[in-house]
Amino acid sequence: MKRLWKIFKAGIIYENPLLMLMIGLCSALAVTTNVSNGVGMGLAMTFVMLFSEVIISLFRKVIPNSARMPIFIIVIAAFTTIIDLVMKAYFPELSKSMGVFIPLIVVNCIIMGRVEAFASKEKVLDCVADSLGMGLGYTWVLVGIAAFRELLGNGTLAGLQVMPASFEPILFFILPPGGFLVFALFISLNIWLKGRMQKASAKAEAKAEEVAA
Amino acid sequence: MMKDIVKLGLILAAFAAAACVGLAFVNQATEAQIAVNAEKQLNESLSGLFPEAEKFVDATAELKIADPAVALEAAYLVERGGAPLGVAVKAKGQSYGGPTTVLVGVTLDRRIAGVRILDGKDTPGLGANAMNPTFFVDKSKKTTFPGQFSGKALSDPFEVKNDVVAITASTITSKAITKMIKASADAASARLEAFAAAPAEAAPGGK
Repeated sequence: MKRLWKIFKAGIIYENPLLMLMIGLCSALAVTTNVSNGVGMGLAMTFVMLFSEVIISLFRKVIPNSARMPIFIIVIAAFTTIIDLVMKAYFPELSKSMGVFIPLIVVNCIIMGRVEAFASKEKVLDCVADSLGMGLGYTWVLVGIAAFRELLGNGTLAGLQVMPASFEPILFFILPPGGFLVFALFISLNIWLKGRMQKASAKAEAKAEEVAA
Repeated sequence: MMKDIVKLGLILAAFAAAACVGLAFVNQATEAQIAVNAEKQLNESLSGLFPEAEKFVDATAELKIADPAVALEAAYLVERGGAPLGVAVKAKGQSYGGPTTVLVGVTLDRRIAGVRILDGKDTPGLGANAMNPTFFVDKSKKTTFPGQFSGKALSDPFEVKNDVVAITASTITSKAITKMIKASADAASARLEAFAAAPAEAAPGGK
C-alpha cells in the first residue's frame, strides 16, 4: 500500500510530467487558455493513460520487444478514439472547444513515455497508481496555468466573468508568449515546492534517527 | 527469422483486431447520440437565425456556391405561413486549422440574418474563439465574431480589418470565415432572386 502511495505521489510533484519531466508541453500550452479546457484535457489524458497502462501492463509478457511501439500506439489510439467519441456524444461543447487536441493525445509523449518506461515493466496495480498520479500531476498544472491565463488574459474563469468590468484583459497571457511565461513560473513554483518537501522529509528522517539512537 | 516476422505480424494483428472490435462497440454506442447532437445544433441554429420561421424546406439542390473553395452542405428555404422569409445556407470551407462549417441566413432584403459556426478545428484560445459564445470582438457591445455579421447588408465589402473586426491574433481564421460567409450569402441571395422572378413558387399552399 505504501509503495503504491509513493508511486502515486511521484507524479504530482517530484516527477510531474509537465514541470519535471517536461514532456507533452505542446498541447499543454495550447489548451490552457480556458479552465474548462484544462479540466477536460486533464481528465481525457488521465483516462487514456490509465487504460493504456493497465492493458499494456496486463499483456506485458506477450508483447514482443521488437514490435512493442506499434502495439503501444494501437492501444493508445484505441482509447483516445473512445474518449473522443464519448466526448462528442455527451460533452459536445467541451469537445468543440478542445478541437484537434483530443485526437492528438495519441502522440502525446507523456502517455508514450509512461507506457514505455513504466507500464511495459511493472505490475498492474503499480500502473494504476502511476497513471492516476501522473494524470493528477498533469491536470493540476493544466488547471493552474489555465486559471492564471484566463483570469488575467480574458477576465473570466471557465467562461464566467469574475473580474470587474473596469478590468482591461491583458491579452499577452492568452497568446503563446504568455503561456511560456506562466509555464516558467509554474516550473519555479514546483522546484520550490520540491525543495521544501525534500527538506521536510530529510528533517523527519534525521529526527527518526535521533530517536533511534 | 521468417518465423519471427510471421509471429510478430500475428501478434500485432491480434492487438489491432481487438482494438477494432472495441472501437466498433463504442462507435455503435455513441453514433446515434452524436448525430442527434449535430441535428439539434443545426435546428437550434436555424431557429436562432430565423426566430419567426415555421418551416425550413430543404433546397440544397437549388443553390450553387460560386467559390470552388467553399462546399455547399445544405440549404433551406425559410417560410412562415407559406410566405418566404429568407434562405439559410450551410457550407464548409478551409480555415487555418482545418475544415470549418458555417450556417448563414439571408433575409429577403439582402441582409445577413445571422451567422453560426457549427464546427471547426482551429486553435483553442485563438482561431477557435470564432465559435466561443463568450469571446467578444467588440467588448463594449458584446458582439461575437459571427455575431457582428447580423444585419449586415450583402452590398458591404466583407473585408477583414475594413468592415469586419478580426479575432485578435487569428487573422487567417477571420479572413477564411468571412470568405465562407460571403460565398454562402451570395449563393443564398441568388436563390432569393429566383423568388422575385417567380413569385408564384412562393405562394401559400406550397409543400
